[in-house]
Amino acid sequence: MLRLKNGRIYDPAHGVDGVVRDLYIEDGRIVAAPGPDARIDRDIDLAGRVVMGGAIDLHTHIGGGKLNIARALLPEDHRQDPVPTSGGMHAGCGHAAPSTWTTGYRYAEMGYTACFEPAMQPTNARHTHLEMGDIPMVDKGAYAMLGSDDFFLRMLASGADQRLINDYVGWTLDASQAMAIKVVNPGGISAFKFNARSLDLDEAHPYYRVTPRQVVQALARAVHDLGVAHPLHVHASNLGVPGNADTTLATMAAAEGLPIHLTHIQFHSYGTEGERKFSSEAERIADALNRMSNVSADVGQVLFGQTVTVSGDSMKQYGNHRHASPDKWVVMDIECDAGCGVVPFKYRDKNFVNALQWAIGLELFLRVNDPWRIFLTTDHPNGAPFTSYPHLIRLLMDKRFRDSKLDEINAEAAAHSQLRSLDREYSLYEIAIMTRAAPARSLGLTDRGHLGEGAAADIVVYCDDADREAMFAKPEYVFKDGQLIVRDGQVVNVVNGALHVVKPEYDKGIEKPLKDYFDRYMTVRMEHVRVSDDEICTCGASKLIPHVCKGRAA
Amino acid sequence: MLWHFGLFESSISVSSPSVCCPFCGLLCDDLEVSREGEGVRLERPACPRASRLFSIPDPGQAMIAGLPISLDEACRSAAIILSGSHRPLIGGLGCDVTGHRAALSLAEKLGGVVDHMHGRAQFRNVRAFQDGGWVTTTLSEVRNRADLIVLAGTDASRYPRFFERCLAPASQFGELTRKVVVLGGPALSIPVMEGVSVSSIPIDAGRLGELFAVMRARLAGIPTRAADVAGVPIGQIEALLADMRAARYGVLVWNAVELDFPQADLTIQSAVNLVKDLNQATRWSGLPLGGDDGGTSAAQTCTWQTGYPLRTAYEIAGPRYEPLLFDSDRLLKTGEVDALVWISAFDPERTPPAADCPTVVLGRADMRFARAPDVFIPVAVPGVQHAGFLHRMDAVVALPLTAPAPSSLPSVAQVLAIIQRETNHAAA
Repeated sequence: MLRLKNGRIYDPAHGVDGVVRDLYIEDGRIVAAPGPDARIDRDIDLAGRVVMGGAIDLHTHIGGGKLNIARALLPEDHRQDPVPTSGGMHAGCGHAAPSTWTTGYRYAEMGYTACFEPAMQPTNARHTHLEMGDIPMVDKGAYAMLGSDDFFLRMLASGADQRLINDYVGWTLDASQAMAIKVVNPGGISAFKFNARSLDLDEAHPYYRVTPRQVVQALARAVHDLGVAHPLHVHASNLGVPGNADTTLATMAAAEGLPIHLTHIQFHSYGTEGERKFSSEAERIADALNRMSNVSADVGQVLFGQTVTVSGDSMKQYGNHRHASPDKWVVMDIECDAGCGVVPFKYRDKNFVNALQWAIGLELFLRVNDPWRIFLTTDHPNGAPFTSYPHLIRLLMDKRFRDSKLDEINAEAAAHSQLRSLDREYSLYEIAIMTRAAPARSLGLTDRGHLGEGAAADIVVYCDDADREAMFAKPEYVFKDGQLIVRDGQVVNVVNGALHVVKPEYDKGIEKPLKDYFDRYMTVRMEHVRVSDDEICTCGASKLIPHVCKGRAA
Repeated sequence: MLWHFGLFESSISVSSPSVCCPFCGLLCDDLEVSREGEGVRLERPACPRASRLFSIPDPGQAMIAGLPISLDEACRSAAIILSGSHRPLIGGLGCDVTGHRAALSLAEKLGGVVDHMHGRAQFRNVRAFQDGGWVTTTLSEVRNRADLIVLAGTDASRYPRFFERCLAPASQFGELTRKVVVLGGPALSIPVMEGVSVSSIPIDAGRLGELFAVMRARLAGIPTRAADVAGVPIGQIEALLADMRAARYGVLVWNAVELDFPQADLTIQSAVNLVKDLNQATRWSGLPLGGDDGGTSAAQTCTWQTGYPLRTAYEIAGPRYEPLLFDSDRLLKTGEVDALVWISAFDPERTPPAADCPTVVLGRADMRFARAPDVFIPVAVPGVQHAGFLHRMDAVVALPLTAPAPSSLPSVAQVLAIIQRETNHAAA
């Protein structure tokens, strides 16, 4: 048994806010304080240290076809950050589109113990699981993308019963070994294949005549009815378009009270005011979030520097290609299933739009009151590489630091932003909520993201440094399932992570029309699109962790 | 005894009566097979390539310098060669993802270089891709949407079922009137298909770039005074361009292997730039054919593990990508590598290139050599004799390979893992 003594515990799931207490760990789990006769094999004194659960990133593009496109596209970026073989760790590369190995090591070195790839295309699921199988250290999961796939749109257009849609969504979760459902530019990826260049929330799809609103509603309902813990994960229409805040607010309302999660909401909080017709609508978006308890969001914070944007939103990425830096870009139409776009991008602090994007993200963080419903992301690598999280945490926790950065950005953008008037500084407790307890709750990970008895012993210990960036960049200790894996910000023990999936109940009768569809129109068999449970460990995960869903009557 | 198959056995259960064919980048997954003695017989449907490669008559024999030896000894011998090497080339890479993972692991341990047997053709695409990116599509999109298919410098005959599988009449969006235009040789090899008209424009593949450049100029509104470009009358070019602009979903197809001339990457770049330009008004996509002998999986696996799509060396500071320097033929010719591991588990005709350095071959049991390699280790064929994973040419779809005719031979991954373990002993 391992005892972590005298640490200051931040465990929001149990309302514990900086209480000094001992933790006991046995067989990879946190256990109750044993009697005085218990044998303690190892004692670590953590006096003065901050102790939290392992951090969980619920939206990070860590693996899958479009990530590999980004990697292959950017040798010049990798060359700035080569990673040698060392100890039991593989060589690779870091920065904007890191290799799988490096992704796992660097997440662990920041105290993350679980990461969720938010955009797995079902026809690309096996590839995604192969890639994620080579991401060590952290547990993983993926959200299956639906909403622009032709089978779904055909069902919706033909007025199929919601129960049939639920079965198809259930089948997709099961067959692609997914943890949640994501919709990206609802219907828009498909519309782009029919040469549409935009599709607003209530605009009819050029072929199917259904609207993005209908897509969102049908999928949000299906996810809810199937009892999937994480609500429908929505990348809304009109990403990046000035004035899109109206669409975003309308999308929130379209859920009609059903739970939804709006992702990288920073990219969806833009107005059209001012000389440049580009302004912050963070206040309006944050107010709506504060009002609507059925809606959660992650921010997708922009931080300055070179990165690469990767998205399933082929329509909007095609539109963004003229901003590519370096000037090269990839767009792909994929298997009557979805699409993707990869556009390298350099966010510049002296550029008005980029600087305002930076300020809009921070405004959203500071204006949304409930840290249980707003999550810390950069939409890695779209807003910035995940390795910039410690810097972002400092921006949230340290107003003087934030204001000093505000002084450096494009002056016009700084003047347009109300960021300086926001005095809020996140507490350690709130950081623990938004990076641990809240994502675990949102995903239905009952034994992660907290430090109660029975929890998996994913534990992070930080030195309480006033420089929060330094503090969060290099935890003193990281434990994964009770094993010490990181010491002083360096991997000391390479482990493999598990794959979280949901296993909803659905009527397998859906395979009959689905198989007929695949046999008629696709170039693969339905049976071969399905990724079996047995394949997951062969793909590389240490084990499959199935989460049972309790269906809710339709 | 070195063999512990239980440790490596991959369990992939697929509840499908059809099997996936691993022998070209199309990865047709509708084959039906039956057992025939030790091997399998293809029931339907198949192409000549599949028929040839699905039958593996030979049980295989490990050899050192052409003389029979046990598998264990062959692995030890390979390990001794590799332990003495400063920079080996792990080449060929004709295997499945599990094999590629093992090959990368061995290369990392030995400080080796990795390249695929079709690396030269792959790099023509990669170079165009890394320079400007592109817009591409996948096979099911072609099947359902493509109304104009332009084949540039290829008739797709290296993929005999391409037309049947990708241009079949059934589209879920209703009847499609499709046109196929072959830029290059005559279109004689293209099958007659209902609802598909086929025409061709004779042009030397080496001059396709000129044609695409002038089409881009015309799209940009720049007039041409030439009466013909690359031997094609300007009127014919204008007519083709008008058709291309009128297409609802056009697909420009090429096969980098067949664009075998100097600076062919620039031809590919001009093709993908034309596709980009056409997208300003309508929808067009490129479709690079390829991916034979596990080429797509090799590049994908290397990319996710190192960041680079092959032609990469494991050096002290980390992986180093030098696609011009790390060309297999060049490395072998210049002596910059001092050992060769040649992996070719799909096709017995893909034998290693001539090399002056010690050569270890992991090949199909029925592989024959003009000059015996230092070590030959027969391996099971992925998708016939062992299960695994393989990517289709479009890199999106990775399919499960099954083992309709399981073999006692080890897989590439198993042999490489043993060699890697043995190099510890050899070095000690």
